[in-house]
Amino acid sequence: MPIVKINGVEIEVPAGTNMIDAAAKAGFDIPHYCYHPHLSIAGNCRMCTCEIEAGGRGLEIACNMQARDGLAIRTDSPQVKAVRRNVMEFLLKNHPLDCPICDQSGECRLQDYYMEHGQYESRLADPKVGKHKRMDIGDHLVLDAERCIACSRCVRFGDEVTGTGELRLFNRTDHTEIGIFPGERISHAYQGNLADICPVGAITSKDFRFEKRVWYLDETDSVCTGCATGCNIRVCHQQGQVFRYMPRRNDAVNKSWMCDHGRLGWQDIASLRRVLRARIDGKQAELSEGIRAAAAALRGVDASSVAFVLGTRATNEANWALWKVARANLPQAGVYWCQGNDPGAWSQVDDLLMDADKNPNRAGARALADHDAAIGDGTDLAHAVREGKVRMLVVLHDDVLGRLEDAAEGVAVLHLGSQRNTTADKARIVLPATHPTEQDGTFTNRAGRVQRIRRALPAAGDALPDWQLVELLGAALGKGPGARDAATAFKLLAGEVKAFAGMTYKDLGGGGLPLRQPEPLPSPPPAQPAAP
Amino acid sequence: MTVPALRHERTFVERLYLPEIVKGLYITLRHALKNLFEQDLPTIEYPDVRKPMPERYKGAHRLTTRPDGKVKCVACMCCAQVCPAKCITIQAGEDPNDPIEKYPVEFQIDMLRCIYCGYCVEACPKDAIRMDTGIYEINAFTRQDMVHNKAYMTDLMDGHKPLAETFYRQQAGSAPKGYDTDEQRVLPVDGSRGL
Repeated sequence: MPIVKINGVEIEVPAGTNMIDAAAKAGFDIPHYCYHPHLSIAGNCRMCTCEIEAGGRGLEIACNMQARDGLAIRTDSPQVKAVRRNVMEFLLKNHPLDCPICDQSGECRLQDYYMEHGQYESRLADPKVGKHKRMDIGDHLVLDAERCIACSRCVRFGDEVTGTGELRLFNRTDHTEIGIFPGERISHAYQGNLADICPVGAITSKDFRFEKRVWYLDETDSVCTGCATGCNIRVCHQQGQVFRYMPRRNDAVNKSWMCDHGRLGWQDIASLRRVLRARIDGKQAELSEGIRAAAAALRGVDASSVAFVLGTRATNEANWALWKVARANLPQAGVYWCQGNDPGAWSQVDDLLMDADKNPNRAGARALADHDAAIGDGTDLAHAVREGKVRMLVVLHDDVLGRLEDAAEGVAVLHLGSQRNTTADKARIVLPATHPTEQDGTFTNRAGRVQRIRRALPAAGDALPDWQLVELLGAALGKGPGARDAATAFKLLAGEVKAFAGMTYKDLGGGGLPLRQPEPLPSPPPAQPAAP
Repeated sequence: MTVPALRHERTFVERLYLPEIVKGLYITLRHALKNLFEQDLPTIEYPDVRKPMPERYKGAHRLTTRPDGKVKCVACMCCAQVCPAKCITIQAGEDPNDPIEKYPVEFQIDMLRCIYCGYCVEACPKDAIRMDTGIYEINAFTRQDMVHNKAYMTDLMDGHKPLAETFYRQQAGSAPKGYDTDEQRVLPVDGSRGL
């Protein structure tokens, strides 16, 4: 691997690494607009210009400079600083400076770099070149061509990632503006990424438009629960309210992207379909009453006619806890995991990120089933229900009744979930669980990668985290799994189930870890490489 | 270190007592007569008369308007951001017919929390908020009424009406006994109907 020298610091990087990444590794931040780690090199913003000390000469752009032995660059010489200042002056020449009404304000590279590298007196004598404002270019996007700095990131995204190529740079020199062909409209399912990668406020999101100034938002790292891909996200929230999801870079899963459906997943959190209180026989009840009633109901029937169904939408911790509760208190009861999508789930699928399986933790439930051969799958459950062996179902999140269709008529149901669905509506007892943004835990994505979700919001209503609800149910039955918090639950799970062996929340970190014995999921769909 | 107090040794005339009493009564009478006949007094008969406030006095906030009557504010949140008391709440919205795309749907200042530092005025890039109304009587009977909203702060533009008047007129019949809401009794803030 070549050794390069950056500002006198020697660092070894893989061959082919560009100097922006190499400098970042050495601890130096090289300003850039057009460079994006998951797009091709365009080299048109010239902001990352660096001075070559050895292994070449003059000034060169760092994004297009590949690491090679003997290369030494300087990112802070007077010449480099002068270049950055002049580049900034050109970029801002026709910029409207409407920061007060621009949604990018606060996370805008023009603002950041002006404060860091620009800071010049305006020499502008002529009027600025006017361009198109507030163009409706897609269902989720607004384009303001005046704010554009023509970095071409969005053009490359359309060409290279989605392959749709709607956006182009039109006209020349300072009349250059980004736009779409007449009559065209961006219609792909990855529009939000265009707003994310735009380093300025030219492309902004319609869904987030004027909702909140970004500097008020707190960010919590989490995982999208829209489908089995498990895109890494940042939950942007303030005072218990979520304003947007943003993709978080994870090269093993979603690179820097996420789909628009997942991006709007936060709308479930405060939706009218949330389960906020316990319900017994259709009547609202205290949570403690609900748990007592649930335990009484479970004790009241023959243990062999009870079926526990692990949730493909519940965390690994909760599934493990439910399995433990079943085994410890009702050893004769059946435990199942039920594959398939809930009726009414969104159906879009592609080979980029959107998986056919719309449950975030199917692989996790399956890993448990692999650990305990006695755990049956959905077919076994359907059989048992049809044969009338099941008198009582304990369901975690999933719409099991919806998936089994009419087979389960007359079966008493105990539902632990956050959203209303057919199962929750027909259930005898409903206990409120939290939304994934309101609890700690882990999900296992389609490729078998265990990833952390983190609590961003306080729980709504009486809801409790999945694992805690199961824990309390176990305690009411006689014996709970004995976890005090999500981390302990995961530790106990990791100590018991081989696929998770040795993992802790600390190890999982931001990017997650693959299951110890990665088992490819059966089709549909065939396991895809995570991103294009 | 102690400093010995300077003691005034009383003279013989002072020690006689009565001349000093007469002297004191004379001073009192002199001031009484002066006040009776002279008009240029520092005392103001508030609330019948109100003192004109200095131009830079920081009174109640108002929202300035553009010639077409819309507020100048573009809901950039600079004031809400800089406010040390965190008393400004703005809800932004989009105006599809306005080239200035953003406007405040609602703009509220909690006057109970406001500390009148004037940072909001300084921070505003659009000169949309000012504290030049000269209004210092900021009071209400409920906490809710102490939250000034966009409509109220925009109206303050016209004629600099005293707050109490506007307030009591909005809430007819809620004025406490003794507080006259009759328009004739309400005086302009500059005190032009003074003595």
